[in-house]
Amino acid sequence: MLGKLAIQSLWNRKGSVMLSLLAMTVSIFVLLAVENIRYQTKENFSNTVSGVDLIVGARTGSLNLLLYSVFRIGNPTNNIQWQTYEDITNNDQVKWAIPISLGDSHKGYRVMGTSKDYFQHFSYGKKHDLEFAKGQAFDQVFDVVLGAEVAKKLGYQLGEKIVLAHGVAAISFSMHDDRPFTVVGILKPTGTPVDQTLHVSLQGIEAIHIDWQQGVKIANSGLSQADLKKANLQPKSITAFMLGLKSKIATFHVQRTINNYAAEPVVAILPGVALSELWRMIAVLENTLLLVSALVFIAACLGVSAMLLASIRERRREIQLLRIMGAPPMVLFLLIELEALIITLVSCVLGAGLLTACLATLKDYFASQYGLHIEINLFTQNSMYLLAAVVSASVVVAVIPSLSGYRKALRAQ
Amino acid sequence: MAIELANIRFHYPKRPNHRVLNIPAWSLASGAQAFVHGPSGGGKSTLLGLLSGLLTPVEGQVTVLGERLDTMNSRQRDQFRAANIGYVFQQFNLMPYLNAIDNLLLATGFSNRKTSKTQKQEIEDLFAALNIAEQQWSVPTRALSIGQQQRVAIARALINKPKLLIADEPTSSLDKANRDAFMELLMPMVAEHQMTLLFVSHDLSLSSYFSRFESLDDFNHLEEAS
Repeated sequence: MLGKLAIQSLWNRKGSVMLSLLAMTVSIFVLLAVENIRYQTKENFSNTVSGVDLIVGARTGSLNLLLYSVFRIGNPTNNIQWQTYEDITNNDQVKWAIPISLGDSHKGYRVMGTSKDYFQHFSYGKKHDLEFAKGQAFDQVFDVVLGAEVAKKLGYQLGEKIVLAHGVAAISFSMHDDRPFTVVGILKPTGTPVDQTLHVSLQGIEAIHIDWQQGVKIANSGLSQADLKKANLQPKSITAFMLGLKSKIATFHVQRTINNYAAEPVVAILPGVALSELWRMIAVLENTLLLVSALVFIAACLGVSAMLLASIRERRREIQLLRIMGAPPMVLFLLIELEALIITLVSCVLGAGLLTACLATLKDYFASQYGLHIEINLFTQNSMYLLAAVVSASVVVAVIPSLSGYRKALRAQ
Repeated sequence: MAIELANIRFHYPKRPNHRVLNIPAWSLASGAQAFVHGPSGGGKSTLLGLLSGLLTPVEGQVTVLGERLDTMNSRQRDQFRAANIGYVFQQFNLMPYLNAIDNLLLATGFSNRKTSKTQKQEIEDLFAALNIAEQQWSVPTRALSIGQQQRVAIARALINKPKLLIADEPTSSLDKANRDAFMELLMPMVAEHQMTLLFVSHDLSLSSYFSRFESLDDFNHLEEAS
């Protein structure tokens, strides 16, 4: 009966209660959103690369190398010579190597030149191998394998001809339109930047740039398809490469060897260490966001508390009636706590519902704009802890009006 | 005896020099229907607060239905009140946002009665006896007229079958027609349930309904105290 009384009493004051509910809902929405995006971002980043022991690129910051080689974020500072790649991969400790050549795009999606080893050795998440939804890996120079999202968004099927653009801008005026690629494979979704990537062979990348200089096509170069077949399509440089080693114990030794490579300034990074560096960098931002969200929530809690406290004055006769019916003062205390709890629980449901709706709406936007693949799952352990903290905090803050109700009940006659 | 007061002295904690009650002795027999009148501010509500256990005397003994309220703790007095005392106010006798049935269920919730199976039937019987139409049972009580609200208030006061019914100026906000209707409903119900009735009002015209008629000043001797 106390529950029914609390609900009916709140409904009776629906004007002020709705405003408090709204404030509380928004604050819980913000809290859950910050936590969810933080969690999903970490999961996304952590799941993007798996089983890669070292990433090697031109000397730069480890974060920059990690971001452009794995996450396709930002641009490489410099290329490394093919000879360097060959020297390093000839090390006895190297089990496999995946070369990466970046710099072209297709309708805003990045093109990655690589070798067939990519489809064999690259893994994501908890060591999931890449799988083909349709077709197979590239075999010819002008074959292309599409990431799942590229195929889905652009509606490409096997056998379709596509033209790559020079550079990584969404809209490019320098097109490799004389040498179109044929879609020969489409990968299954991975939830990583692989989904937004077009994969071609290193020879394909070399072929489309063979008559280009300084990023500009040489007019009437006169190269025919037959000339291309005869041409040496061995790449002269690549952007970076990933290494898998025979033994994990050798990782630091190989890293040191690469970092000391004399012929060219290169750097080898451990993906996990670089990711930790990234987390450390964004921890301040994360904590600030969480703090701001928590403050917004506390403000909403105090708003509910103030609303309930103001209602006590209006409810003097109600309290008197309850007392005369035999309700002890503790019942009044519990009634007001219950009202605060109901507001908080309804706000939790509304806030979570609102966030789910927003994530469902913005899911594709996050994926295309930020490469963030967000799962609509609010029931993570952290979110549950957060909601438990929210409920506990509202109960604690509601002690102020509840005590006022208790004291009022003691004095009622 | 339904009520026995002995050597009662009462003042509010914030005004220790202002004695409100000084009753050497006063009693009311079981089944009696007493009318007590007095001016506003004369201590009537304080007396009812003592009899219902919401207040405790500074000195003296308050015995209601054979139980010493002045020796009980707060929780015991609350339970005693819920189980044994019905109360009707001048106004605000009901939770305005609850319907008539829920108001009565709320009152039963605080008593220790375990008759939930028959509660609904008891409520309906009581409504029928008090001429409360069925369509008025499930609307919020604030939507009822003042007269209808007072009838539901009687039902609420009687639902726990109290042995003592206290009425604190229950007709003050009613016009003459509604006042008479209220009294004509109340008195037979009190007689039928063999309750003791203590009716407090400043409206002397109601005294004709009662076998015992007293002024508070007759037994509250404030002059002696001062």
